[in-house]
Formats: sequence, structure tokens, C-alpha cells
Amino acid sequence: MSTITVERASRWFGNVVAVNDVSMTIAPGVTGLLGPNGAGKSTLIHMMAGFLPPSAGTVTLDGAPVWHNEDTYRRIGLVPEREGMYDFLTGWQFTLANARLHGLADPQAAAARALDTVEMAFAKDRPLDTYSKGMKQRVKMAAALVHDPAVLLLDEPFNGMDPRQRLQLMALIRQMGAQGRTVLFSSHILEEVEQVASHIEVVVAGRHAASGDFRAIRRLMTDRPHVFLLRSSDDRRLAAALIAQPSTASVELDARERALRVYAVDFQQFVRVLPRLAAELGIRLYEVAPSDESLESVFSYLVTS
Amino acid sequence: MQADPRAAGVIHDIGYRHYDGARLGRGYLVRSLFSQSLRGAYGLGRPARSKVMPMLLLGWMLLPALIIVVVAVISGAPELPLDYRDYIPVTFYISAIFVAAQSPQLVSRDLRFRTVPLYFSRPLTVAGYVLAKYSAMTLALLILLGSPILVMYAGALLADMPFWAQTRGALMGLTGAALYSLVLAGIGLAVASATPRRGFGVAAIIVVILVSYTVVSAVEGIALVNEREDVALYAELFTPYNLVNSTQLWMFGAAENPMFDELPVPQGWQGAVFVAMVIAVVAASVGFLLLRYRKAAVK
Amino acid sequence: MNATIAMLTWRALLGRRRAALLLALPLVLLVLAAGLRLTGVADLEASRGVLGALVLGTLVPLLALIIGTGVISPEIDDGSIVYVLAKPVSRATIVVTKLAVAAACIALFAALPTLVAGLVMARNEAGVAVAYAIGTLVGGVAYCAVFLLLGVVSKHAVVLGLVYALLWETLIGGYVPGARTLSVQQWAVSVTSALAEDGAVTANVRLAVAVTFLVVATVAATAYASRRLRSLTLTGEE
Repeated sequence: MSTITVERASRWFGNVVAVNDVSMTIAPGVTGLLGPNGAGKSTLIHMMAGFLPPSAGTVTLDGAPVWHNEDTYRRIGLVPEREGMYDFLTGWQFTLANARLHGLADPQAAAARALDTVEMAFAKDRPLDTYSKGMKQRVKMAAALVHDPAVLLLDEPFNGMDPRQRLQLMALIRQMGAQGRTVLFSSHILEEVEQVASHIEVVVAGRHAASGDFRAIRRLMTDRPHVFLLRSSDDRRLAAALIAQPSTASVELDARERALRVYAVDFQQFVRVLPRLAAELGIRLYEVAPSDESLESVFSYLVTS
Repeated sequence: MQADPRAAGVIHDIGYRHYDGARLGRGYLVRSLFSQSLRGAYGLGRPARSKVMPMLLLGWMLLPALIIVVVAVISGAPELPLDYRDYIPVTFYISAIFVAAQSPQLVSRDLRFRTVPLYFSRPLTVAGYVLAKYSAMTLALLILLGSPILVMYAGALLADMPFWAQTRGALMGLTGAALYSLVLAGIGLAVASATPRRGFGVAAIIVVILVSYTVVSAVEGIALVNEREDVALYAELFTPYNLVNSTQLWMFGAAENPMFDELPVPQGWQGAVFVAMVIAVVAASVGFLLLRYRKAAVK
Repeated sequence: MNATIAMLTWRALLGRRRAALLLALPLVLLVLAAGLRLTGVADLEASRGVLGALVLGTLVPLLALIIGTGVISPEIDDGSIVYVLAKPVSRATIVVTKLAVAAACIALFAALPTLVAGLVMARNEAGVAVAYAIGTLVGGVAYCAVFLLLGVVSKHAVVLGLVYALLWETLIGGYVPGARTLSVQQWAVSVTSALAEDGAVTANVRLAVAVTFLVVATVAATAYASRRLRSLTLTGEE
């Protein structure tokens, strides 16, 4: 049973704060670290892997700090995002080298087992630089699993994978979690995370935004008001009519943009009501655009809520 | 026969805006790449850390010139202790480090991160790219090599030295600086473009310059001891600093090498061999760069 | 010392281009030596000049620069060092192993060719060939330790090492007598002088001082590099 505890950890690079006062506990099972690009997920994972000291706060594995502690690597397997590997080695040689570096009693058996787990035994005698991206990712997994670690950290493992490879990797991660390991992987795509992780931690702009299982997160995200930007032949009359509707939370006339901003609480209702109202009032709609579909605005809503 | 619009595919107008205005030509492209590369050679437009080495080297290069000027003004001598055209060979370590350190700054990043094909997906030709980079490095070196000459010239005028003699000397020195810049830029860029790793490029350039210099010096030393002046003379061809030095000595009609009086200076038609070698080095460098980037543009 | 790290370092160092450059340098030396011998100019005087200036003065620092930075900087640059660091292996073991690989390369690409060149030119007259070979070895290893440290500490290790090797050793070492006691090149010369017959090679630094400094420099650089490697940060970004 291994638990990673992040206690009020912060990390800054000069003037840029990459991780801002984050506290979280990663328990056994699969946890997904979700956040937009640049949110600090990679920084957090590298802090947990002992490659980046926190500028403030602590990052510990079962109470022992991971920074400056080579022994914890017996229990941690890291799958980094960067592609740099010893390209001249074959898949087998690379996995075997990792097994040997761990000082395992039977490195050949461990390497063979790891390659079978990731289903890369068929290509093990080809040099790494002939591998596709998905194959490289799987060999990295093999190298991380070769010493049977209790903790597995994966940095953006699904980047650049095709659907079939993604399914395979998801199955593998679920399997690792079911074995009782503590698995943490990062992603910026909610669908990827919710299919694999039982628990999700959301990180936005360095801050810990939300934590919970995926249903709770999704409810938080869909229950938000939808914001629409409307341009019509008579914004004010339209606004008056819309605010009378129960599906509208608020309306705002933006003089600078010469548009009408509508906050709708019931998306389904609103999109049915709007054209009907416009037709009844004889108002011509020039532009109807949703203005917060991006993941960033969803996340920022989560932070403010 | 009119095609049925429903049978064919439909392209929706989603508001993509074409740019129909004026487009600046290829010359602008090359000029922009040139100025960006030139500024990059001195770390301008890059983070502060990239400025340290080139500025330090520039300062180091100017320091002896400033000292010479101060000494000349104070002592009131009739001429400078060091001739304009000898400044560069005397300080060759500094400019050698500059070439080795900064040539990879111009070309390595594009090769390492494979952005070269992006350059050529624009109306930029391989020749244009090579021209921009070569000119930028040459000018960067000319600034490094020419500024001490200008400093000495200004000092000489301040010290009331004879105007025409000094002006002539300074112009000859600047011509030499231009030749050095062309040859060194060619070698530096050609070697740097052979590898995407910046550190390795630096090492390779300095190896080419330094090892050729040391070997040639050894050969010359032994040749002179054995009274084979012709061997010593033609050995000069095979290392960049000596090549340009001998060429400029020949061009300006020097009778003997001011720093090593035993070393022969090319006389008469021998100078033509040296000039031919200078042209050959520049041409070979440009040729190599063109070939290299033609290959990189496709990969 | 870790055999796996040694294997990884050796194979990463001797990639096609680097190996070519590392071979080219001793080749130049050997061609020169052979040329001098064939033209009948080779003698003790020439050997001393060539081996002293070309080898100890230029070849050894440059080879050590390429080898010393090459055993660690490329791995840090492309991030592949994470696979070595994310293991329960002490950082000192990593640094010492890499230094050992570097020393083996120095022996192969510098010391051995120096020995051969010396023998070709002067047939080990006055023990010069063997003396220079050993001087090359100890000087090269000390240089490698320093450059390895630079590789751990800085992204611009090669340029910094170049500035040290050229400007410090050559310009300052040449003009400022006191600086000679702090020059790896001079320490190597002292060792060479002690091993050759008396008077064959002149040293500028006393042997005891030179040997002490060689050992201290190598050990201190290695220890400090191990410490800094412990604190090496990898952020996962390019």
C-alpha cells in the first residue's frame, strides 16, 4: 500500500509559478491528473518522481521525501513524456538494461515478463529508433514495470496514440490499478481520464481545482451556465423576452461588442426557446455563438466555483 | 454540361479570410532571416544567457586595442605598436572561440528540432537560406574583427599620428578582417550544419581550426629548420588563419612576415595560389551548405 | 562502477559522428609522425616539439573536451538520463563509471596514439615516447573529470570548457608564471618530465605539486559532480 502525499507544494521558476500551493493524496488504484496544457501536471509528476524539488511544501511517498532519495526508485516507475531514449538499443536490450540497473536478481526473466505485459515481445530485437511512437511508449512502460513497482507515474501517456493503442494502454493501466498499485497518469482530455481512472484530480494554472470521481466532475462541468453571444436586429427586446424565460439565468448587453450575452442554465430548453421567441417577436438573429465551449473556460469555472 | 452541385462535394464558407493585400517579396524574406541570424549571433533577441559569451568575447577582443590606444596616446609614439593587419592573428584564440561557439547558434536549432522543412515551405529557396545565414555570420565576424581596428584607428588619430598612413593601414586591416570573416564563417557554418547537436558542433569547429593550426605550425617549424622554405610557405594554405594572413600580406605587398620573420611571404604568382585557395574554401563551404540544406529540406 | 551504465555510456559516446571525430585526431597525429619519419626529419627534437605542443597542448585538451562532455551532456540534453537516474543507483557510481569510460577512451584515442607516434618518430629515445603517453593519460583523465563536472553543471559545457582550455591554459598559462601551477597541461608535463630521462623534457611545476594537484582535481571534480547530479532537475519539458 503506497500513498503519495503532496502537502501544500509549490514550485516556481523565476517569476513563473508552475505549481501553486497544491495538496493532494494519491492512493492505490488509478488516479487521473486532469488539466489544460501548461497547468503544471508535468511539473507535479516530476516532483512526485523526485526530479524536481518543491520550492515550498513537501512531496512524500509513505512519509519519506522523494527528493534526494535514490532508494525510493525501487518502488517508483516513471514513464516520462519526452522521447529521448537510448535509440541505438533494441527494445529487449533497453528493457534488460533497466532491469539490470535496478539490481534485480533475474533481470532477463523480469525483462521478458515486462515486455510480455506490454505486448512488445514481437519487436524486441529491433532498434528503438525504428519504433513508432506507440511502440516506444509501450517499451517505456515495460522499462517502468520491470522492477514490479508499487507506484507508477505516467506523464501524458496517451499523447500521439491512435485509438487502438489507446485502448490497449487503457486496459494495461486498469490492470495495473486492479493489482493494487498506485497509478497516476496525466491528460488534458476528460474522456481519456474518465474511462480509466477511478479518481480524478483537476489542476488548472498550477492550482488544485477539483477532486473526486468522474461523475462528480462531469456534473460540475455540465451544470454550469452556458454563455451565448447573440447579435440580432433588436438586442434589447430580445433580452427582455429571454430573461422572462426560466432557462435564462441572466442577460447582459455588451455595448462595446454590440452584442447580447446570455447565461443559460438549461441548455436544451434555451436552444429550443430562442428561435421561437425570435420568430414571435419578428427579430432577426444575425449571430448565435456559444462563448465558453473551450476546456479552459470550463476549468476556470471550476476554479471560481 | 453543368455539374450537379448536390452530387459534388460542398465547401462551406466558414469565414476563412484570404489575404489579398501586398506581399513583400523574397528579398524581404532573406533580409529578415539575415537580420534575425545576425542579432542571434550576439544574443540579441534571445534570453540574457545567450548574450554573455559573445559580448564577453567582443569585450575581450577590444581590450588589447583599447590598451594599445591608451599607451599610444600617452607615450606620443609616431605609430601604433601593433600593425592593424597583425591584430587578428595575434588574438586568434578569441575569434576562434567566437566562431566555434556562435556558428552552431545560427544553424543547430533548426536542424535539431527539424524546423528546416518549415522554412522551405515558404517562398524561401535553399540558396536564400544559405545566403542569409552566411552573410549574417560573416557580418557578425566582421563586427568582431573590425571593431578593434576601428578603435585603434580612432586612437591613432587622437594621438596625432600621420593621417594618410593610418587611414591606409586601417583600410588594409579592414580588408583583411573581411577576408577572415568570409573564410571563418564558411568553415564554421559548414561544420556546424553537419550535426544537430550544438555542443558537438562547437567541438568540431574548434578541432578543425586548432588542430590544422598546430599541425601546420609543427610542419613549418620542421621545414624551416631543414631549410625547406617552399614547404613552409605552402603549408600556410591549410589552416584558415594563416591562409588569410599570408593572402593579405601578399595583397598589400609586405616583404616579410612581421610576426615570424623566418616565414616566407608569398611573392608574385604564389599569391595567386593563396587567393585561389581562399576562393576555394568559401566556394566549398557554400556548396556544402547548399547540399546539406537541400537534403534537410526534403527530410 | 556499474557495467550497465558503462555499456550505455560507451555506446552513446561512440556514435558515428563523434567516433569519426575522435578517430580523426589521433590519425592526424600518426600521419604527421609517419610523414616526419619518412622525410627523415624525425628526431628527439622534433618529437619533443610535436608531442609537447601538438599532443599535450592541443590534442589532449580537445579530445578530453569531446570525451568528457560527451559521456554526459547528450544524455542530459535529450532527457534519456532519466532512465539512469530513476534507479536506486548512487550518483557517485554514475559519475565514476562515466569517468572510467572516459579514461578508457583517453587511453585509446590519446595515450596509445601518442605512444605509437613517439615510437615512430624517436624510437623511445630517452624514454620520451612512453613518458608522453603516460603524461597524456593522466592529464587527459584530469581534464575529463573537470569537463564531466561542467557537463553536469551547465548546458554550455563545451564552450565553457573551450574557454578554460584555450584561454586559461594557453594565454594566461603562457604569460602569467604563477598560473602555471594551476594548469592541467603543466601538471602533465611534470609527470612526463619525471618519467623521461633527465633533461629530456623540461617541467615548470615540481612533480610533487603536480601529482597532488592532478589527484585533487580529479577527485574533487568527481565528488562535486556527484553532488550536483543528485540535484539535477528534470522538468519534462524540452
